[in-house]
Amino acid sequence: MLKYFRVKSQPEKVVPDLGMISLSLLERDAALPFTIRQLNNLPENIKRRLYRGLIPPALLTRFGIDPIQWTGANKAPLVFVNAEAQSEKVLVTARSSPDPDDEFFALELADNSLNGIELNLIVLNDPTQPRFSIDRTDDGQPTMFGTLRRNLKAEEDAKQAGLAPGQIRAGLNTSKIVFEHIETFLSTLGHRAYFLEPLTYASAWVFERRGFAYVRGHKLMDDIQRGFQPGGALSQCLDDGSTFRKPDQADTVRGRAWAIHDGILDTIDARWDKIRMVKQIGRHAGVETFPQARY
Amino acid sequence: MAETFRITRAAYLESLGDFRKFLKEHCKDVNAETLYDLQLAVDEACTNVITHGYADMDPGSIILDLELDSDSISITLTDFGRAFEPGAAPTPDVDAPIEERELGGFGLFFIQQSVDQMDYKATEDGNKMILRKLLKPPSSAGLH
Repeated sequence: MLKYFRVKSQPEKVVPDLGMISLSLLERDAALPFTIRQLNNLPENIKRRLYRGLIPPALLTRFGIDPIQWTGANKAPLVFVNAEAQSEKVLVTARSSPDPDDEFFALELADNSLNGIELNLIVLNDPTQPRFSIDRTDDGQPTMFGTLRRNLKAEEDAKQAGLAPGQIRAGLNTSKIVFEHIETFLSTLGHRAYFLEPLTYASAWVFERRGFAYVRGHKLMDDIQRGFQPGGALSQCLDDGSTFRKPDQADTVRGRAWAIHDGILDTIDARWDKIRMVKQIGRHAGVETFPQARY
Repeated sequence: MAETFRITRAAYLESLGDFRKFLKEHCKDVNAETLYDLQLAVDEACTNVITHGYADMDPGSIILDLELDSDSISITLTDFGRAFEPGAAPTPDVDAPIEERELGGFGLFFIQQSVDQMDYKATEDGNKMILRKLLKPPSSAGLH
């Protein structure tokens, strides 16, 4: 063992605390990364220009939204940016109509404690597809996408319709282009990586395909793959005991994800918790924990 | 132009075999001694990441980037666990009597002995250990 190769007691910050972005700071070093907080402290129209880069224009025009003005046919604003001064977060949302239920895009980026970047939220829903209320109980309480409490009937319907856990509507099939935009945006800021915590097994699998590696949880994903092999501990949980535990679910990403969402990881003394992934800007990690998977 | 190859595996000891196999598969034209040195250096570096960098957590990934050039082989190992301070590592006294030697410390020594250059840096996109092995020119023996 490398006994004298010591673990650092404190990780270093990615970005020094530099204060306001100024022309002289911009001139100083083109590789110096900026934080979300620094961007949020800029004047509104500068922020708007910068954050425009987070949404693919083709995604907006698909829903009849002007990609510059962010308005629909009747001039109603349909794209919203929440990026208050001093805040370390930016939330960008877009709707196909003024109805909040027609939101098709939501993206939240935030500074982490080391001034690196966290992708806190990414939602890409097709507003033309049926909505499943897996996000709230029948009495209106939020479920946190089924992680805090569950709306079992809505989840059963969502599963039946081919959705993965955590999905309210079918996806837009645009994650590739959206991630390309996120990377372009972050490289403009000078960042070399960003991090996220996948909500479900299915989302972790999608992020693997988009080039992410693991900070935590790669071994768990390998354990899950082993567990779902014929005769494996997780396969044995698929006993037809409920809608979420059908025997054929071991063969697909979504099937596995629903069973994991239903709690079968207890069998291998594990939890879907604190999984953390990282994407190196411009690089694909090549992780494939479920080889030749069917979604 | 250099050829590049990449493999990513979870940071646990069972993955070391995959890294060894990967090196053997892509370093076909190097001699057995060079391949052994590279495999030893990667084994030691990864073991350190597994046992210390990812200690007490469900381990993440180790990415191995291999670059084959005409005169050298470079390997970059990237992990996302805790970073190290390699500067603090003293060279173990290999000449000391066995009973006087300190335990440990030889992994880094083995790496240093196995490759020609070793560098380490902790960056925003991971902790990177960069190993470089120079390929010896063909022997001139027999040429006049």
